[in-house]
Amino acid sequence: MKILLIEDDLDLGNGVRIALSEQGMEVVWVRTLDDAARSLARDGCDLVLLDLGLPDGDGLTLLGQLRRNKVPGDSGGLPVLILSARDTLDDRLSGLDGGADDYLVKPFVLAELLSRVRALARRSYGFDGETIEVRGLVLHAPTRRVSVAGRTVELTASEYALLKMLMMRTDRVLTRRVLEEQTLPGSQTNASNTLDVHMANLRRKIGEGYIRTVRGIGYVIDLQAPGGAA
Amino acid sequence: MNRLLRLWRAVAEPTLVRRLMLVQVALVLVMWGGVIAVLVHNGGDSSSYLNAIRSFDAVISVADNLASQPALQQQSLAKIDAALREEFDAANLKELGPLLMVWQGDRLVYHSKGAPPNWRPGRAQGMETLYLGDKRYRALTVYSRTSDTRVMAAGPVGTLNVFMTINSRGYFLLPLVISLPLLPLPAWWSIRLAMRPWRRVAQEVAARGPQDLTPLTFRPPHRELAAMVDSVNALLLRVSQSALRERSFIADAAHELRTPLAAMRVNAEALQGQANGPVQRELLNGILSSGNRAGRLVGQLLQLMRSDATGSEPHAPLALDALLQDRLAALSGLASRNGVELELAATEPVRIMGQRESLVSLVDNLVENAIKYSPPHCVVRVGLAGVAGRAVLTVEDQGPGIAPELRERVFDRFFRDPQQTKSGSGLGLAIAASAAASHGGTIALSDAQGGGLLATVLLPLAVIPAQAGIHT
Repeated sequence: MKILLIEDDLDLGNGVRIALSEQGMEVVWVRTLDDAARSLARDGCDLVLLDLGLPDGDGLTLLGQLRRNKVPGDSGGLPVLILSARDTLDDRLSGLDGGADDYLVKPFVLAELLSRVRALARRSYGFDGETIEVRGLVLHAPTRRVSVAGRTVELTASEYALLKMLMMRTDRVLTRRVLEEQTLPGSQTNASNTLDVHMANLRRKIGEGYIRTVRGIGYVIDLQAPGGAA
Repeated sequence: MNRLLRLWRAVAEPTLVRRLMLVQVALVLVMWGGVIAVLVHNGGDSSSYLNAIRSFDAVISVADNLASQPALQQQSLAKIDAALREEFDAANLKELGPLLMVWQGDRLVYHSKGAPPNWRPGRAQGMETLYLGDKRYRALTVYSRTSDTRVMAAGPVGTLNVFMTINSRGYFLLPLVISLPLLPLPAWWSIRLAMRPWRRVAQEVAARGPQDLTPLTFRPPHRELAAMVDSVNALLLRVSQSALRERSFIADAAHELRTPLAAMRVNAEALQGQANGPVQRELLNGILSSGNRAGRLVGQLLQLMRSDATGSEPHAPLALDALLQDRLAALSGLASRNGVELELAATEPVRIMGQRESLVSLVDNLVENAIKYSPPHCVVRVGLAGVAGRAVLTVEDQGPGIAPELRERVFDRFFRDPQQTKSGSGLGLAIAASAAASHGGTIALSDAQGGGLLATVLLPLAVIPAQAGIHT
């Protein structure tokens, strides 16, 4: 996977470059918007890590250009993760509304960055027709086929939608509200019970050990088996 | 007793209106006193009968014309004398009446009853002071221009006489004396009326919140007040500018700190994968936990600054249950890194009026604290319910808790439990308390069931019906 890191701080940029390289990712590190645009045009990439305060402008400008297909070598669907020191709700919203796929506030934990990078990569691959795989649980988006350890599992539309959301954002707890809104539209009454029923069915079909309940809050699929995540 | 005391305080408290009135009354009194003093000073010489020159003329002409008929002369003079004394006799103040004496040549042809015959007329026409025993008299002698007749009238000098003087001369003082006690009411009312613009300015200043540094909107046209309002506005502008500078300085500094902190963290974490042996790993962990602390402190300083800065921002209706779910989902990463489980019990929609950012910092700080002080494999229980018009938010951990005597002090900025071994800034609870306070709520700490700390936040519920569109 090829990552374009746009970060003007020398120590941070170098640290992220090394840390991601250690994880087997190919990192191109640039320090200005100009260099970033040039690199995108020449080589392209699979994912962008974008700092907002850059010496030759605001990262949001580049984000806007990316989303309006103004940057050669990109079709507008390139995943962008913002790395910023600005942490207010307004900042996050302007980043996400500007088209970023995720927003991480500095200082961040490396594990968090890695997990979000992987989730974004999975999401983009998933949309590109790739499969998502977590510990033997495989979801193939184009065919809507789900299998556990090679054995195909039949899911209803709602169960499939729930599982896909969770698998695209592994390691992050999705709130009950988000899951209800995204996957069970129209069920105004007793949405909570409906969600629990769907989850119970889904678990019965794919087996225990994948979906972890965070009581009262939501559900999560851990990338590593429970207990192994530290 | 207390009411009396309050009343006395209200009366004793200085007011500008009263000051103005006192000054006015004092001024009137001084002027009045001055007039009286002048009158009194002249009063000794100017009893009404002493100035009645025509009366003297009358006495002289009677004495001269009837000089040949002593009996008639005596009788006529006695009548004039009686006429002069009439008002004193009528007022039963005989002793204040004038004494009339008439000489022709050296012979005393007439004297009032009680007048000492041994008095001699003045050597020239004019005033003089005479004594009858201890009693002092002012006497005026008038010489006839055509004969050797001299007439003297003498009036006793004394306190009563002064009043008589005032009474007779100062007829213009009477309305003043009567109106003076009645003056304060219209004076008070008129001053109050005149001070109305002043009160309006005061009301506007009093009505504003502590964070409101916008200029005053009411600028009275009156010169004195306008000058004051302008100065106040200039001051407000200076204060708000300096507060803005200070805030943006701290915010900039905190932001600037975040990038190097992130760099330190990433570098140390990248190094962690290559660490050989427990010693290196321990040292790296030390660096990482210091980095965490510094990062958290920077975040909290920013939160604190924002909570100070946004105290006056409007509150909007929001769903606290949804916010809580979002924040706990976001904090679940931290929880699982600490081996702690989060649990939320919120079965009903809870709507309050609030500021999202501030409530987020409230929830985050309470839950982060609970996670931090929880031993591994423990549960942090968060609950939310609407009880009797209030949202009750509880955060319960299974940590060491806080000693009862410190449960107030831990809300102070930078205060930390001295027994505490975990690292921390001492800002978390202060931020939470300030956020709760800005929502008209409270935080209380108590013992959780089975040990640990239970933080209970009470916030007023929104008055809108709780059903209105929270869960869609």
